[in-house]
Amino acid sequence: MKTKEDFPSINERKPDGLSPEGTPYRILVVDDSMFVAKQITQILTSEGYDVVGQAADGLLGLERYKELYPNVDLVTMDITMPNMDGLTALQKIIDFDKNAKVIMISALGKQDLVKQALLAGAKNYIVKPLDRKKVLERIAHVLSK
Amino acid sequence: MRVEYINPFVESAFNVMKEVLQSEVKRGELYLKSTSMPVMGVAAIVGLAGGVEGRVLFDMDRPTALKIASAMNGEELTTMDDLVKATITELANMITAQAVTKLHELGFRFDLTPPAIFTGDNMEVSNQDVEALIVPMDTVHGKVEINVAIREGRNGGLHED
Repeated sequence: MKTKEDFPSINERKPDGLSPEGTPYRILVVDDSMFVAKQITQILTSEGYDVVGQAADGLLGLERYKELYPNVDLVTMDITMPNMDGLTALQKIIDFDKNAKVIMISALGKQDLVKQALLAGAKNYIVKPLDRKKVLERIAHVLSK
Repeated sequence: MRVEYINPFVESAFNVMKEVLQSEVKRGELYLKSTSMPVMGVAAIVGLAGGVEGRVLFDMDRPTALKIASAMNGEELTTMDDLVKATITELANMITAQAVTKLHELGFRFDLTPPAIFTGDNMEVSNQDVEALIVPMDTVHGKVEINVAIREGRNGGLHED
């Protein structure tokens, strides 16, 4: 059977999802939209990232972060969510782990909330609709620092 | 209804659908309706309250909703399950968010409800007092109608702040 390995690799490139040590980066996805969570997960797993957890609101996201810690490298955090919004969850995650790497996922038109999130310690943000290239670039950039 | 309310929704629906569906979208002729009107089968609704008030409805038939959700998820979806509903809701969310950003830039101040999705047969929607403007959009997956019924809020549309 022909598999990918039978073809010579033209672009010898390490997938974004692997750390310099060659192990996958571990990501927690916090989003109340099943569609968006699935989209982010697909984009990330296709580049070798390991999505170690998903949470459907800020409170669950905070709990999941504490459970996973320190075995989690980055969080993608939606802003508008029930029970606890992404901004509050971000602040609580930073209180718990001041080195936490959190990227906000925002709909257009939430510039004020994005600004507050960046001041509160979010490392970057991505505006929906999500573009594969943009998502991968922002995440790789935050992880490289 | 003032045209300033409509254009942002038309533009944003056009841009967002073109981007998420990765295909051409054509705008049909606008029309006004003041009585109750039938809904095609799947409708996502977002409410507005504040300086302007009313609602925006994204209306399509079931096969169109399934095809759009399939395209957005990159896999074939054949039943109206939670994922399809979440996908159509998110589409409504993205279109509304972009339109609202433009309306805010124009000085209108109001809040939005999170989108809700209705599915069923023989549904109709009525608005007392507010006429609805309908913007048909033809996508490769079928027709999506954007049904906008907005009027100036009680305190006037423009707020100084």
